[in-house]
Amino acid sequence: MKPTKEELIDIIYECLGEVNEQLPNDRQIQKSPDASLVGRAGGLDSLGFVNFIALVEEKCAHKYGIAVSLMDASLHEDGAPEDVGRFADSLFQHLMKTLPVRL
Amino acid sequence: MTGLLISDFNIENLSSYLKKEPNAPAIDSVITCYGEVFQTLLDDAAPCWSERPDFVVAWTRPEAVLEAFRKLLDCCSVNEKDLNAQVDTFSAALRQASKRTGALFVPTWVIPPFHQTHGLLDLSPTCGVARALMQINRRLLETLDGVPAVYPLWTEKWIQLAGPTAFNQRLWYLGKIRFSNDVFKAAARDLKAGLRGLGGQAKKVIILDLDDVLWGGTVGETGWQGISLGGHDPSGEAFVDFQRDLKALSRRGILLAIASKNEETVAIEAIAKHPEMVLKMDDFAGWRINWQDKAANIIDLMAELKLGVESAVFIDDSPVERARVREALPQLFVPEWPSDKRLYTEALLSLDCFDRPSLTDDDRQRVRMYTVDRARKESQPQLNNLEEWLATLKTTVTVEELNQSNLPRVAQLLNKTNQMNLSTRRMSEADLHMWASEKDRRTWAFRVSDKFGDSGLTGILSLELDGSQARIIDFVLSCRVIGRKIEEAMLFVAIDCARTAGIKEVNATYCQTPKNKPCYAFFQRSGMTYRDGNTFVWDAAQMYPLHSAIRLVCEGTAPLRKARLA
Repeated sequence: MKPTKEELIDIIYECLGEVNEQLPNDRQIQKSPDASLVGRAGGLDSLGFVNFIALVEEKCAHKYGIAVSLMDASLHEDGAPEDVGRFADSLFQHLMKTLPVRL
Repeated sequence: MTGLLISDFNIENLSSYLKKEPNAPAIDSVITCYGEVFQTLLDDAAPCWSERPDFVVAWTRPEAVLEAFRKLLDCCSVNEKDLNAQVDTFSAALRQASKRTGALFVPTWVIPPFHQTHGLLDLSPTCGVARALMQINRRLLETLDGVPAVYPLWTEKWIQLAGPTAFNQRLWYLGKIRFSNDVFKAAARDLKAGLRGLGGQAKKVIILDLDDVLWGGTVGETGWQGISLGGHDPSGEAFVDFQRDLKALSRRGILLAIASKNEETVAIEAIAKHPEMVLKMDDFAGWRINWQDKAANIIDLMAELKLGVESAVFIDDSPVERARVREALPQLFVPEWPSDKRLYTEALLSLDCFDRPSLTDDDRQRVRMYTVDRARKESQPQLNNLEEWLATLKTTVTVEELNQSNLPRVAQLLNKTNQMNLSTRRMSEADLHMWASEKDRRTWAFRVSDKFGDSGLTGILSLELDGSQARIIDFVLSCRVIGRKIEEAMLFVAIDCARTAGIKEVNATYCQTPKNKPCYAFFQRSGMTYRDGNTFVWDAAQMYPLHSAIRLVCEGTAPLRKARLA
């Protein structure tokens, strides 16, 4: 089953919902493509980013049966994607490359 | 409330959940560097101890703190003695650290399931990892048994609640986070429930509806013969199990009560006559079975039990009744309740509001005490004269000094008593023990019994001697025995002790709370002189009168003159 960008956005929002459970109310990440994920404009700290990445990996593995490691350099060739939309794009490209590798 | 989290893995997620979880208490945590477990536990001077934390969590991996266990995972042969000795060393460090906090929580050791895949060898006496895990947990518990302020927690439950992804290898390799967030969430819930219990905020009463709660159907329509209870029926069996679990909770000291819209005689007949009823009328501390508004009935019922509405849980199958009671009594806990009767037991046992740090004999006897109290009250109207009634009770008050055996119950009473409580101090067992051990301080426990039965350990008095003055610090009496001249007997003990020590003046300063007006009222009528700042004073040149209806007995080393008292 090939992922679509819309599905990946849904997965990302689901993961953000879980990560937000741990964040103070004034540091919640909005479920929007423009929302800042990491970087100077705010977003997740390093621990929050680790939690987020692990959740996305787990949900992708569960949904698509794809062994995916998002800490691989290929996802961050141009640095970590700073907002949700760019992260979804990178994730999509990464999954398309990874797709032949089945769990 | 501040917590100190000590771990050999990244425990920041737990800290986040402790802070974010909406239930009381609010918690801010300090986290030590992971991997510095022994250093932190053993070093009194470490900066993290500079401000005494309200609680500490020491959560470790067995392979990290026990070298022998690590070897076992690597399939090396391990001597059982070495394994036990390393557990003992860790336990000693925990005991040392426990003196620096009000509560030290120690989650038991777990390992991921992939470490337990040696098949028949998992439980082998020589190299079985699963066997060794059971052994080290048991050893740890045994060496911590009875240590004040140490509370082991059952990690396995959190692992089961989190399901197959409880151990998350992705999180481990990305951030040295041992568990998935569901484990930390469950841990945060249990820690908060434990802290509420230690703070005396555990719920004390379950108020139950009857129809479709204790049995299926409407007893007023079908009679007791027609209700669904027991038998070879899924719902009927579920109701019996639910009643059995309620009965088990009552043995833990949780009172049961009824608030039901029914004909009282019909409902009581069902409880008395249905052969599969697990709960009998004697299991209920009180009831309101009538057609009045349930919220009003609950207020009335809780007043009868002399408990605040906030200490109760109300269980009703009707969403309308739940909403009505919730709206009228926001301080009452009204959990959502499943419509499927077969889920009642699970819903009841999932409530984390009954956690208490200890289970005393008084807890086990609590329901019986209320039954006895009801009989006592029913005897009261037959006598017009209060003095005559008091004399007929044949009350014995037994005084004993604070000691290891009564400490759990004394701490429990101190932390949950609101009405007759002079200063409303809340202290853990360890803190109370430490406070009472100081020179010039005396702490006594009071047990009360009469011809109707034993009310158990129901009073606490503590005194601080300071030169020519003695200050009453704690004056605590369970609402179950208020108004039976026990208060006066406690003052007698305080003043007698002060006189023996050559003290000239005994004083008591009332610290007002929203709930302790009965205490103020008692001191106003006690005969002590009121002084500015809510302080009451007694000139110790005078003895304080002991009511003639009270027989005072001294146990152990309590410093009263037995010959004069008994």
